[in-house]
Amino acid sequence: MQSKTKKGIVGKLFTGIEGFDEALDGGVPKGRSTLITGGTGTGKTVILNEFLYKGITQFKENGVYVTFEENKKDIIKNVKGFGWNYAALIAQKKLAFVDASALRDVTFESGQNYDLSPLIERVKYALKKVKAKRLVIDSLGGLFSRFQNKDAIRQALYQLTAKLKDLGVTVLMTAEKTGPEQDLSRYGVEEFVADGVIEMELIKGQQQFLRRMFVIKLRGTGFRSGIVEFVITNQGLCVYPKIPIEKLIAKTDFHVRRGFGIKGLDDILSGGIPQGHMVMISGNTGTGKTMFSMHFLRQGMSEGDNGVFVALEEPVEQIKKTALVHGWDFNRDEKEGRISFVAANLIDISNDKLLYQIISAVEGINAKRVIIDSITSLLSATMNREQVRQFLIQLFGYFKAKGITCIMNYLSPENFGAVRGQLLSSIATNEMGLSSITDGIIMLLFVERAQKVKKLLSVLKMRGSQHSKEIFSFEIEKGGIKMGEKYEE
Amino acid sequence: MPVKYVLKLYVTGVTPRSQAALKNLKKILTEAYKGVYSLKVIDVVKQPKLAEDDKILATPTLIKILPPPVAKIIGDLSDREKVLLGLDLVAVVGGGLEKINEETNR
Repeated sequence: MQSKTKKGIVGKLFTGIEGFDEALDGGVPKGRSTLITGGTGTGKTVILNEFLYKGITQFKENGVYVTFEENKKDIIKNVKGFGWNYAALIAQKKLAFVDASALRDVTFESGQNYDLSPLIERVKYALKKVKAKRLVIDSLGGLFSRFQNKDAIRQALYQLTAKLKDLGVTVLMTAEKTGPEQDLSRYGVEEFVADGVIEMELIKGQQQFLRRMFVIKLRGTGFRSGIVEFVITNQGLCVYPKIPIEKLIAKTDFHVRRGFGIKGLDDILSGGIPQGHMVMISGNTGTGKTMFSMHFLRQGMSEGDNGVFVALEEPVEQIKKTALVHGWDFNRDEKEGRISFVAANLIDISNDKLLYQIISAVEGINAKRVIIDSITSLLSATMNREQVRQFLIQLFGYFKAKGITCIMNYLSPENFGAVRGQLLSSIATNEMGLSSITDGIIMLLFVERAQKVKKLLSVLKMRGSQHSKEIFSFEIEKGGIKMGEKYEE
Repeated sequence: MPVKYVLKLYVTGVTPRSQAALKNLKKILTEAYKGVYSLKVIDVVKQPKLAEDDKILATPTLIKILPPPVAKIIGDLSDREKVLLGLDLVAVVGGGLEKINEETNR
């Protein structure tokens, strides 16, 4: 049965589903069957539909839909919500249905002596009608609940998948997963008919459900391990693949400096932040972290370096308004492709999605500078300390490989009102366990002196670089930050 | 006034199984039903479109088109009572109903 497919390595078929192919390192096994398993509402049927639709519309690979669940009419209606016109594709002979949905007809079984050869004949007929390259089956459970003779069903599935393999048709099929246990072989066929198994799940976030998928097996082909998150939008699935850890040497160059364009500050840093560094600006609320960040991006743009602003604290519009007060037109910069903004829903932040968004934004304008404002915001319900750390390690690995310089703002609640002589005593920069992945730390703090609140700055750490160890005062004025004198008590 | 029966029997090729189904069906009809009936035997290999239209998944499958309701009987029709039930011939056959009751009470 398998003789025809043994000769070569299993290739990959690009599905066209956003991010899914990357997560699978190129797509699903070509000419083979992949099983999608998961509970109710996890998105199994959506993935099948998109696999078919993208195949037809993007790759000119026609498809056959075998349904044991909903009937043809309902499926056509359901996918209209995604803007997919199945009726037209059927009329153009690009899509064919084998409608084996449950019937309301009275059905009896008289003896167990029967087989499911009509199913195979109908599939063959449909494949021939549209010259299909892709086929989906939804679902195995729907088929197994239909007949008493389970052996007849198994036999038919063996025959069917062998036939499809011979024809080089790539198949996606679904099976329900009911319990928490790994019940992959519930029907006793999955292991044999499927060359790949992908599990989908729905988990509860704080205010919404999060969707995840992971590969259990993918015969003969590689895939990126790990759980990937995805969403279902009105255009279909969007999967957020893990970033491949590039084993390139970090493109950090200590001689190339990325300045702030703030008079005095760049001198303190011996010209700026070394290229490829990840620098933390730590300070309490209102100390000016976002202002320093804006300066950093502005200076970059004036040198021809595009920038990405990851806005996790304030709405993007508000940031733009603040910038405009200081005479920086971020709207125009955005329109002209010098700056991109990334925003996220903070209540149920999805780390994979955010990573994907940031990287898309960076690649979109070939950014050289990135601001994350702030990493403190990442500590939400679905991202604990360890996850934030892993998120940043992944992100920084990518930045370093690209030679991107990044500033991450860190809201440190403990630097207010330090007592005389102990300005830096209660710094908690290491609270998130980030010191090993930060190349530099710039401290901002308030002190009360002579009935006034003064703003102070000090560079605590800058790997591979000379920097002033002094404490400096600064002010935020119209037009930006103005550095002051060395601060002495 | 005898009811006219319209029946279709779906088979896959000429196999001992399809022959058995046909033989069983004819025997039941001869014994339990004296009226007029039309029977069409359809091979799914030759007529896959008809199988699609009638939504046939297994062979042999006997469909009773008339009198309504449409009913399907899957298998080689060796279980006589199920065939009678599917064809709505239970009441016509002497003793058939009692026999079924016996079975369900067991």
